[in-house]
Amino acid sequence: MHGINNPYRPIESRVIDVITETPTIKTIRLKPKEPITFKTGQFVELTVPGVGEAPFTPSSRPSQHDILELTIMKVGKVTEKIHELKKDDIVGVRGPMGKGYPVDSFKGKEVLVVGGGCGFAPLRSLMYELFERSGELKKLYFRGGCKTSQELLYKEEMGEWLERKDLNMKLTVDKGAPDWKGSVGVVTTILDDVKMDFSKGIAVVCGPPIAMKFSTKKLLEMGFKPKNIYLSMEKNMSCGIGKCGHCRIGIYYACKDGPVFTYDQIKDFHEIWD
Amino acid sequence: MNNYFISRDNFFKFLENLKSEYDVFVPVKSHDQRFYKKYESQTDDILVGEVRPFEPLKAFFTRAREVVAEDFKNEIPHSNDKPIAIVGVKACDLKGFKVQDFVFNDSELQDPFYIKNRTENLIISADCTCVIETCFCVALGIQPHPKDNFDLNLSEQDNGFLVEVGSEKGNDLVKKYSSLFDKPEQKQIKKREELRNKISSSAENNLKESGVPHQDNFQNIIETNYESDIWADEAKTCVECGACTIICPTCHCFLLYDQKDDEKMRRLRVWDSCMIKDYARVAGGANPRPKLFMRLRNRFEKKFDFFPKVANLYACTGCGRCISACPAKIDIRKVLKRLVENARNK
Repeated sequence: MHGINNPYRPIESRVIDVITETPTIKTIRLKPKEPITFKTGQFVELTVPGVGEAPFTPSSRPSQHDILELTIMKVGKVTEKIHELKKDDIVGVRGPMGKGYPVDSFKGKEVLVVGGGCGFAPLRSLMYELFERSGELKKLYFRGGCKTSQELLYKEEMGEWLERKDLNMKLTVDKGAPDWKGSVGVVTTILDDVKMDFSKGIAVVCGPPIAMKFSTKKLLEMGFKPKNIYLSMEKNMSCGIGKCGHCRIGIYYACKDGPVFTYDQIKDFHEIWD
Repeated sequence: MNNYFISRDNFFKFLENLKSEYDVFVPVKSHDQRFYKKYESQTDDILVGEVRPFEPLKAFFTRAREVVAEDFKNEIPHSNDKPIAIVGVKACDLKGFKVQDFVFNDSELQDPFYIKNRTENLIISADCTCVIETCFCVALGIQPHPKDNFDLNLSEQDNGFLVEVGSEKGNDLVKKYSSLFDKPEQKQIKKREELRNKISSSAENNLKESGVPHQDNFQNIIETNYESDIWADEAKTCVECGACTIICPTCHCFLLYDQKDDEKMRRLRVWDSCMIKDYARVAGGANPRPKLFMRLRNRFEKKFDFFPKVANLYACTGCGRCISACPAKIDIRKVLKRLVENARNK
């Protein structure tokens, strides 16, 4: 069976750097043997040889084809092993999978990006893409929240983003600290000064399920249309090609039809935030 | 398509010939159990007719456990295995193909393992010659004799079978071994129709006795009953063994897991079950269906809500295997009956 692509085989990749972001989150820089071209919002399965694989949305620049960055929180069996990875270790990558953010359709629109905790990872990749297209956008907002300033991802870059002229940005932490100059409170508390025609605006939300649930509720109250709210759904994506069944949401599979869905697509299904 | 007659003796000669190209599996009955056995030679336990064996047909197409990737190689493991010829496949199992094809032969994302087996394997189906208590295929719009999705179909006759050709591949085989096949007589065709009608009506009688509703009544039964107590009530005795899904000809879920030995890395695929607690759990801890009744409901939702919406068919064949397999005696017919009646009363 030559010439047939085996969808279950990972592409050999070398770890070229491991960056400790927070006590529980690391960014793994990878160089795959074959280039992996992804659209922002698509995800990959990262294999730790002999241990297993887990799904992650790259946090790197989509236009950078030879290097992939994955920002990963230590939460389970596979991610524990990922956190033990060192430079020059060999891992595997399958993907990209699913559908990304439809950034072409954001042209000429006002865009609000809302992130929580580890949700900053996929959003960093999206923001890179949007910065490259910032001339196309009418306005760009970023509102981010995490538990404490210690758990804030990409601290240095966040500082640079705050300086950008093409971005209106605010950060908040649930629990304040003496060294924290931003807001204190959950992310929904820093959305009130966003000024745009909400009925036409685009909102992108990525974060823990609870943050997505309450952000979506708030965005709807503000006047965003369900079809203009983009959510990244965290489900148990395994095969990545809509076969193994695990990540079903209503009539969709998060792996092939998502992981990015509009709220309109999934609002009538049960168990979406669980 | 064309019909032929094959005598019993010639039928076994035909199987003997098939052995050179295929691993041939035949249905056998032993101590009241029906299962598939690899064909070596003609034995008394081989029984082409009656009803489906206990094992689901899907086992020949996505195996219960198989290696799907080795190291970082793109080659498809075990792609040089001999194809399989399966004899005596029943109409209910052929409907299972419609679901499995939808999943694994998706136009965009194809599964090369399934496609290889589907392309290369040979299906020699057969009419049911009896009905057992758990049979309810007619409720799902299936007649107990195959209509499509086979290469050759066998209908039992005195001292042989009437053979119907269902595909190019089947036609080629009949031509290749033409000396074994005869022209059918009109009375044999007539007998086939009589037998089929007889079995169809006993299947209908089965439905009447068990009161299973016809699929025309299934529309919206999941959504209407989503908050109903039926789920918790039916799940009371469930022991979460997953037998109902493993034995089901339409269930397709699997788990990927990795192994490493002697520096060789293997990725395996094993059948999985949505009835198991951690099936949809994510590493972060969230689980959309932490309670057993939710998972039972989800199993029915997948079959009677998801598949009709995405593939325009109910993912149930009425084969009744899950009824026999369940140690807790959860009966899909009874659940469907309750759902339909409850929906009607709302």
